[in-house]
Amino acid sequence: MKYEIAKPDRQVAMVMDLNKCLGCHTCSVACKKMWNSDAGTDYSYWNNVETLPGKGFPKHWQEIGGRTDEGEIKRGKVPNLDSEYGRAWEFNHKSVIATDAASGDKEWLKPKGNPKWGPNWDEDEGAGNYPQDNHYFYMPRLCNHCTEPACLDACPRQSIYKRKEDGIVLVDQDKCHGYRFCVEACPYKKMYYDYQRQVAAKCIFCMPRIEEGVAPACARQCPGRLRFVGFRDDPSGPIWKLVEKHKVAIPLHPQFGLGPNVFYVPPMSPEQLDAQGRPTGEPRIPLAYLESLFGPDVKRALSTLETERNKRKRGEASELMDILIAYNWNDNFKLDATAREVI
Amino acid sequence: MAGDMSFETLALIGAPPAMQPGGYIPEAYKARQQAGTPAVDLGAKQQGDDWVIELRWDCPNPVKTVTGETDLFTDAAAIMVPGTTSAPWLTMGAPDHPVEAALWRADQNKLLHMRAEGLGTMHRSEPPAPWSTRSAWENGRWHLQYTLVNWSPLNQFQRIGVAIWRGENQDRGGLKSVTDGWITVK
Repeated sequence: MKYEIAKPDRQVAMVMDLNKCLGCHTCSVACKKMWNSDAGTDYSYWNNVETLPGKGFPKHWQEIGGRTDEGEIKRGKVPNLDSEYGRAWEFNHKSVIATDAASGDKEWLKPKGNPKWGPNWDEDEGAGNYPQDNHYFYMPRLCNHCTEPACLDACPRQSIYKRKEDGIVLVDQDKCHGYRFCVEACPYKKMYYDYQRQVAAKCIFCMPRIEEGVAPACARQCPGRLRFVGFRDDPSGPIWKLVEKHKVAIPLHPQFGLGPNVFYVPPMSPEQLDAQGRPTGEPRIPLAYLESLFGPDVKRALSTLETERNKRKRGEASELMDILIAYNWNDNFKLDATAREVI
Repeated sequence: MAGDMSFETLALIGAPPAMQPGGYIPEAYKARQQAGTPAVDLGAKQQGDDWVIELRWDCPNPVKTVTGETDLFTDAAAIMVPGTTSAPWLTMGAPDHPVEAALWRADQNKLLHMRAEGLGTMHRSEPPAPWSTRSAWENGRWHLQYTLVNWSPLNQFQRIGVAIWRGENQDRGGLKSVTDGWITVK
């Protein structure tokens, strides 16, 4: 029987502007260094950045989750460590350092073993043909702290819950028995398994920082200033303005029906070229592809972005562009009316 | 293992996924109706307040270790006993009608004691020190012998339920093969 999920008092959320992500992975490193570098979670990235179009992390995650494109439950898959996540590599540092330069025998730095897959294995590959329509963009991903979390729905022990005060989805690891139905069910594949402690583990939205009014590490460390953090019900904050007012921030795979609370400003793209190298007027990133990620609302979002960008080009005022440009980084984060993020 | 113990073969049923808490398991596993392990051989011998119980079952592809992997599930077995006369077996007890169990996992060398008052309420703890198991996998079968010293609900009710988890089948939690009701042991 489905659980009743109590509506939290407030819902914290994040918006990421994909037009500004430079794929530097600083967010992933900031997250990982802070939360999960231990054995057991060494392979996992609560925050990762993947190249799209691409297979993603874990490999083919969009196809092996526990929801259909109609939002129905289907049996998902627990990804394999070697073939779908990619085992954390160990390198031959010692033998490289010990190489005798005088002998001419050079051993290059390389991972031990013979890895077949890993995070960013297909980085910067993308799709299309150079120079006509080759394209890719970077897609940072973390737990969506869904309104109707598939992980919560899948746990027979009710180890997963949504915090009343901010809607952050957490795992009570003292209750978890490591069954991994949550890993199966999450269609975003953002629930991981700590194989050392044999419990589920996931993004906690830097909960201790949120409690102090400080944005999550992935957002604070982002050099591209593409992340916005705040509460969904705060009309003076960036989340409400981007999601509700301007409607340019939209969720990933809304068809799963889980109500993600992480949103994306979709990527605009330059025009394709014809055989003679002339712009065709068609965007390099096909609209159909973006719709497969973000649903039909992506068309309106892109149109709004273009309209507002053109206004700014003409020297006219645009609140939307001012927000997205992030003139004042403080304005990217608005966590509480009284405890605002301070640089 | 136990040379002087007589055995009976018990048919097992697949624990119904439809009973599992939450929305995911009943729907995602609705096609799973058959027991992954269709039968278990049970032998039991009482010595004063102590019991030696042995289980044997077919398991052609055992999963004995899950270390360092994300998608492996270990073989496991449990002997469950009622804590009251009316404790239901299929739901692992009910409020105020607990069950207790002794869980063995192929990937660990120790037993776990469990107590539950309904599905999803199982609490694991260290077992009494004298409890032990011996296990061996031979010729496609698990042989598992429990020594259960002074387990008062077992002595009181002399009824058990058996659950088998087949790791190869991704059995875990409520996805398991179980006896169809309490079995009286003497």
